[in-house]
Amino acid sequence: MPVFKVCLKIFRKNWLSVSIYIVIFLAIALLISATSVSERPTTFSQKKARVAFIAEEQTPLVKGFRKELSRSTTIVALPDQSEKLQDALYFRQVTYILRIPKGFTESVLSGGKMQLEKTVVPNSIENTYVDLNVDQYWNLARLYAAHDPGISQNGLASRLRANLSGTTPVVMKTENAAKTSDSFSMFYFNFLAYTLSAVLIMGISTAMMVFRRRDLRMRHYCSPLKQANVTMQLLAANLLFAGASWAVLVGFCFLLDPQSIVTMNMLYFLINSLLFTGCIASLSYLISTVLKSLNAVSAVCNLITLGTCFISGVFVPQEFLNSTVLKIASFTPTYWYVQANTRIAKLTHFSWDHLAPSLYSMLIMLAFTGAFIAIALVIGRRQQATN
Amino acid sequence: MIHVKNLLKRYGDLVALDHLSLDIKEGEIFGLLGPNGSGKSTAINCILSLLSFDKGEIEIFGKKMTPDAYESKRNIGIVMQNVAVFDELTVYENIDYFCGLYVHDKSERKRLVEEAIDFVELGNFKKFHPKKLSGGLLRRLNIACGIAHRPKLIILDEPTVAVDPQSRNKILEGIARLNKQGATIVYTSHYMEEVEQLCSRIAILDKGRVIASGTQEELKAMITLGEKITIEAFSINEQELQQLRELPGVLSVQWIEKRLVIKSGKKAGSLEAVLDFLKTHEIGFGRIYSELPTLNDVFLEITGKQLRD
Repeated sequence: MPVFKVCLKIFRKNWLSVSIYIVIFLAIALLISATSVSERPTTFSQKKARVAFIAEEQTPLVKGFRKELSRSTTIVALPDQSEKLQDALYFRQVTYILRIPKGFTESVLSGGKMQLEKTVVPNSIENTYVDLNVDQYWNLARLYAAHDPGISQNGLASRLRANLSGTTPVVMKTENAAKTSDSFSMFYFNFLAYTLSAVLIMGISTAMMVFRRRDLRMRHYCSPLKQANVTMQLLAANLLFAGASWAVLVGFCFLLDPQSIVTMNMLYFLINSLLFTGCIASLSYLISTVLKSLNAVSAVCNLITLGTCFISGVFVPQEFLNSTVLKIASFTPTYWYVQANTRIAKLTHFSWDHLAPSLYSMLIMLAFTGAFIAIALVIGRRQQATN
Repeated sequence: MIHVKNLLKRYGDLVALDHLSLDIKEGEIFGLLGPNGSGKSTAINCILSLLSFDKGEIEIFGKKMTPDAYESKRNIGIVMQNVAVFDELTVYENIDYFCGLYVHDKSERKRLVEEAIDFVELGNFKKFHPKKLSGGLLRRLNIACGIAHRPKLIILDEPTVAVDPQSRNKILEGIARLNKQGATIVYTSHYMEEVEQLCSRIAILDKGRVIASGTQEELKAMITLGEKITIEAFSINEQELQQLRELPGVLSVQWIEKRLVIKSGKKAGSLEAVLDFLKTHEIGFGRIYSELPTLNDVFLEITGKQLRD
C-alpha cells in the first residue's frame, strides 16, 4: 500500500496547519463549556412568591387562609407602613403585598362585593400562583357557606384545609429536550461544521493536489500499479483521515460534556456530523481538481469555511439571519447540517414523524455529496484527456 | 526490445509524429536527437502509453504496448524531463516510494534503494527534502527514483536539462554504468555532445520524422563533409577567397573575424592544398585547427538548419 502510506505521510506533514484550526476550535469550545448553564432542571418544584400579608382582621377564616397561603408562598413579616411596604416591593424583598380589609370575611360569607387589595411587581410569574390561591380559597369558602348556611368559621376553615390539602404530582415529560435544546452539545456540533470543514479541506485538498501533479501522475501511469488501485488507496487514506478527524473532534465533545453521551439526540448528532464529514471530504476532493496551486488551498479553505459558516448559522443562530441570506445558504451543505442539528437538539420523541425533517436535511447533504463527487469525476476525466 | 512502426500522432492540424519508425535493440544506448519540438518527448510518451496515437504499432519486450500492459511496465524505468518527486518526502523516502510501486518485498526494496542512492551518490543527502537539494542533486534524485527497481529498459527524457557541467558528467557516467550492468537505454536530448558521448546508435528527429539513424560513424558517413579547418589569417581578399573555394576537395570557405573556416570533403589532401595556397600567395597565418564533423553538421547538412535553432 505505498500510495496509502505516502498519502498519510503528507497528512502528517500538514499537521501544523490543520492543528491550528483544532486548537482554535477547542479554545472556543472550552469557553462555551465554561459559560453555558450546565445545571438543567430535571424535576418540577413550584416557585414560591415572597408575600407581605397584611390582615386588618383576624377571623378564623383569615388565619386559615394565611396558613394555606404559607404552603405555596414565603410570607415575609413587614410592618403595616406604606413607605416600608413600598421599599420592600422596590427592593424585591416581596413581590406581592396582600391586604385583607376589615370586614372582608363577613362580606365573602354574605355574598358581598368587597375585594382584597393587592400591590404586585409587574410581570412576575410567581404572583400568578398567589392569585390562584386567593381565588381558590375564598371562592371555595363562599361555596361552602352558600350550601351550609349555619356553618361556623372554624368549621369552614377546617373543611377548606381538608379540601385544599391535596397535592398534584408533576412529571417532567421534556427531560431529554431540556438536555440538548440550546445545550453545549448543540453549540459544539454546530461549531464543529467550521473546524471539520477547515481540517478536511486543508488536509484532503493538499494531499490530493500533490498526487495530481502532472509529473507524479505520469510516474504512476508508467508503474505496474493499476490506476484503480492507486485511486482506491487514495480513497482509503482520505476516508481514514476524515474518519479520524471526525472521531477526534467528536471525542472532545464527550470529554467536555460527558452527560450528552446518554441522550438519544447524541446518536443523531453523530449521524448528522458523519454525513457532513463525508460531504466535506467530497468537496475537498473537488477543490483539489479545480485548484492549480498548493498556495491557494489555504485561501480557498478560509473563504469556503468562513463564508458558508457565517451565512449558514454556525456562528449566529439561523433564526437571527435574514431570509435572503438563508436562501443563499441553502445552496451549501453547511446550512442543512446546521438545520438538522438544531432540529435534532429539540427532539424529545424519535418516531418517524419527529425525525423526518432532520432526515430530510441529511438527505440533502447526501445529495450534495453525490453532486461533488460527480463533478470532481467529470473534471478529473477532462483533465486526464487534456493531459 | 522496442519496435515502433509507422507511428502517427496529430494534435489537431499539427503532425507531431509523422510515420515514425524505430527499432531499439537489447543492450544498446539508443539516442533520440532532435531540436526542441521535433517530437522526441511525444514519441516517448506514445511508447509509454501515456499518450494515445492515431496510427501505428508499438511493441516492447515483444508485446504490444497498451496502458494496461502492467507486466511490461514492471521492467521499464522512466526518468522524466521534469523532476517528479514528492517535496514532502525525504530523498530516501522518495526513492523507497517509487521503488515500492514495483517491488513489494521490503528487504529486497531496502537493498535496491540503498544501491540506487549509492549509484547517484546521494548517500549524504538521504534525509534531505528535495527543496534543500541543488538542481544537479535533484536531477540525480529524479534518476534514482526511475531506476531503483532495476528495470531492463530505462527511458530518459532529457535528464540533464538545466544541470551544471559537473552534475551532467556524473549523470552521463551513471547512465553508461547502468548500460554496462545490462540495462537497455533510450536517451533523448537536444545536446548533440551528450548523445555523441553516450549513445551507440542514434536517430535524428525533425518535425516528427526520423531523418537519419545509425551509429555515429554511419551518420557522419552520410554527409559530404570530411573535415572542418579553421586558420587564423592576417588578411585575405575576395579574389583569393574565390581561388581557395576552387581548390580540389574544398566544399566551402568563409572569412569570419580574421579566421578562415574551410569545409572539406572526405578525400585526403585538402589541408595541404590550402596551406600551399596560403604560402604561395604570401598570406600570413597563425594557428590552425581541424575538426571532424559532428552530429550538428549531420543535422545541418540534412535539414539546412542548426540542431539548436
